Amino acid sequence: MWRIIDLGNLAGAYATRLLAESGHDVIRVEPAGGDAVRRTGPFLGDVPDLEQGAFHHFLNAGKRSVSINPDTPEGWPLFLELVQTADAVVTSQRLPVDDEDTKADLVWTDIEEVQDELCAYARSGLLSLTGQREGRPMLMGGHIIYLAAGIQAAVGTAAALHVRRITGQGQRVRVSMQDCLETFVEQAMVEYTFSGTRTERRGNRGTITAISGALPCKDGHWVVSQINRPGRWEKFAEWVGDADLMGDPSLSSDDVQREKKDFIMDRVLAWSRQFTKSEIVEEGQRRRFPSSPVSTPLDLARDPQLKARGYLTETEDPRFGGIPFPLGTVARVRGQEMKPAPTLGQHNAEILGELGCSDAQRRALAETGAL
Amino acid sequence: MNPDHPPLSGVRVLDFGHVLAAPFCTRLLADLGADVVRVESSRHPDFPWPSSYRHPDGRHASYLNTNRNKRSVSIDLKHPAGRDVARRLAVAADVVVENFSAGVMERLGLEYASLKAANPGLVFASMSGYGHSGPRRDWTSMNMNLQGAAGLMQVTGAEGDPPTAISNSWNDYIGGLHTCYAIIGALTERKATGAGIHLDMGQFECSVSMIAPLVLFSAVNGRNPERMGNRSTRFAPQGVYRCAGQDEWCAVSVHDDAQWRALAEAVDEGVPDPGLAGDPRFATRSGRMRGHDEIDQRIEAWTRALESADVETRLKRAGVPAARMRRVQDLVENSAPSRAYREMDEPRVGSMLTTALPLELSASPLPPATPAPCLGQHTQEVLREWLDLPANELSELAATGALI
Repeated sequence: MWRIIDLGNLAGAYATRLLAESGHDVIRVEPAGGDAVRRTGPFLGDVPDLEQGAFHHFLNAGKRSVSINPDTPEGWPLFLELVQTADAVVTSQRLPVDDEDTKADLVWTDIEEVQDELCAYARSGLLSLTGQREGRPMLMGGHIIYLAAGIQAAVGTAAALHVRRITGQGQRVRVSMQDCLETFVEQAMVEYTFSGTRTERRGNRGTITAISGALPCKDGHWVVSQINRPGRWEKFAEWVGDADLMGDPSLSSDDVQREKKDFIMDRVLAWSRQFTKSEIVEEGQRRRFPSSPVSTPLDLARDPQLKARGYLTETEDPRFGGIPFPLGTVARVRGQEMKPAPTLGQHNAEILGELGCSDAQRRALAETGAL
Repeated sequence: MNPDHPPLSGVRVLDFGHVLAAPFCTRLLADLGADVVRVESSRHPDFPWPSSYRHPDGRHASYLNTNRNKRSVSIDLKHPAGRDVARRLAVAADVVVENFSAGVMERLGLEYASLKAANPGLVFASMSGYGHSGPRRDWTSMNMNLQGAAGLMQVTGAEGDPPTAISNSWNDYIGGLHTCYAIIGALTERKATGAGIHLDMGQFECSVSMIAPLVLFSAVNGRNPERMGNRSTRFAPQGVYRCAGQDEWCAVSVHDDAQWRALAEAVDEGVPDPGLAGDPRFATRSGRMRGHDEIDQRIEAWTRALESADVETRLKRAGVPAARMRRVQDLVENSAPSRAYREMDEPRVGSMLTTALPLELSASPLPPATPAPCLGQHTQEVLREWLDLPANELSELAATGALI
């Protein structure tokens, strides 16, 4: 088990959550007034409070919290002392710590998080790929792009910790979130550089395969995405039961499917409206057509697959009662328990005790504003 | 390990992956210095669909980017001798990665439970769509299915919009990155314990984690969060505005009152009537949140007459965060090309751009990019290195027809 000091914003906080999911001791160093992660909405119970942010509750689960203020004369040496006990630091803030000031085996990950989410998304090229065909381009929701960059930072930190385990050597890891975002444009980059093809937004009418799209049904939307293997088109047309689709043998060719995509999808749409998500998806899967629901976050909070696999674990919350808590993908696979996110400074006494501070010293530090 | 070596040097990875999720994951491992060997066969070409570029050797453009820095062995897994040699390679490996449907590795006799006895330290990563257990274990899925099932399409876009997708293989990247992280952690842990692990990473769960805060919100609040489109809960106005020309747009995000005044003055200069800057309704953030629709219309009345680059320049000069929408051609051709891509010598085409790992490690140099292998290019070499197979056994094996 490593000890990780966490001063991450949204991306860094997901990187360190992954480290907590791996069973490491992650200590979140937070300003006494709360940080941006705690202020990010929406809020559980709709209470805009530092202890109620949905992002805080997910991202800081499994961590300990200490409210050291490194910007005070007494807080800075205390922070450095904490760093001396650590195996890694993951930070999205620039801190004036030189390699000479730290142990040779310390892993130090600097994440350059983007200041402006929407502008960074526009610069990265991802905006040009997200949204409806010819419609207004859209930002990916839920601040997803920060979490996605956070996994890259976790990969870099884990690689450096692996080196440390073998050689005893620490090092600096640098992660630029803007670069991370741009790597996710790689398919469009390859298409363009090889053939000049410009990848466009295709919204709910499919990505790579001809027969693919998100279509309305009785209680929402479902997705069908079909690779054209021999004989599959006929089976698909038979399922849809549409005379026009069954009656035109030319439609079995991949090229014709692409050319007549809108016609085909309109026929499928007219048919699928009569079913619920679960009716049509279950039947599609029974017939081996890649089908899925379009899930809302509320659907996912009740999702049978996530429950069956233990990704959602029933947790007793003192304020909200029993809630299904998202354990996290790495915690689930390792069977790692995740403690609820800490209250601000919840572990001050415990962590200062580990640093050898007495209660009296701690109270004195609190009075200076360092805690 | 020499301190000047890449982080994963000496780690042997056997890659049974196809198309993207698993091959993307193993590319990350290769970028970190692992010895990645792909198990391939002419009987089952990877990515049998049309592609905008395909070399006579069958390799297509995306393959060249996804499988660089790897070696290839050709083994027919339908052949008993092929399965046997694949098994011996898996026993000699540190890591196995596969993204078959659940049950396929069992049918090949290559499942974790049976390999574990012979190779207790093996780290075995499975990356099927929904994982190897649960009611959807056997569901088939493509990238777009998972964009829908894991909630991405429903949290993207504004209230009332249809589900909104992204035109890339988002789930393969997110699944690949999570699995790469989990594999490195397992390798480190193994140094202390000697024990391997089966990492049954469903791509679905990896993608759900990306919106887990919103899932938690819905679990507690009993309703869905608002679909925000391009707006922010913290800043107003924020949006993507249409500019002059075909599909030209500029993103604008106003963080404080000073930026608002600067934006309003720029808009008023172009479209003076009625003035935005002096409108008392919009002086505060909460007022701008309430009047967001009207503000958006007024901003767009100004931007749509201007080039997107012009809007960006004017606003940035005035201190307002703004960025025109860049496309892939801007990332690769522009005077300031993306650092995410790097030129690589590739004999099939001379040279090509390939994705770089967006990480710098100060003490562990990352290996230079080498071109993707031809099918079976390294069969003999790898069987010799990993299995100490003498030449006569190699030719006997080849004679069975299992190495195609």
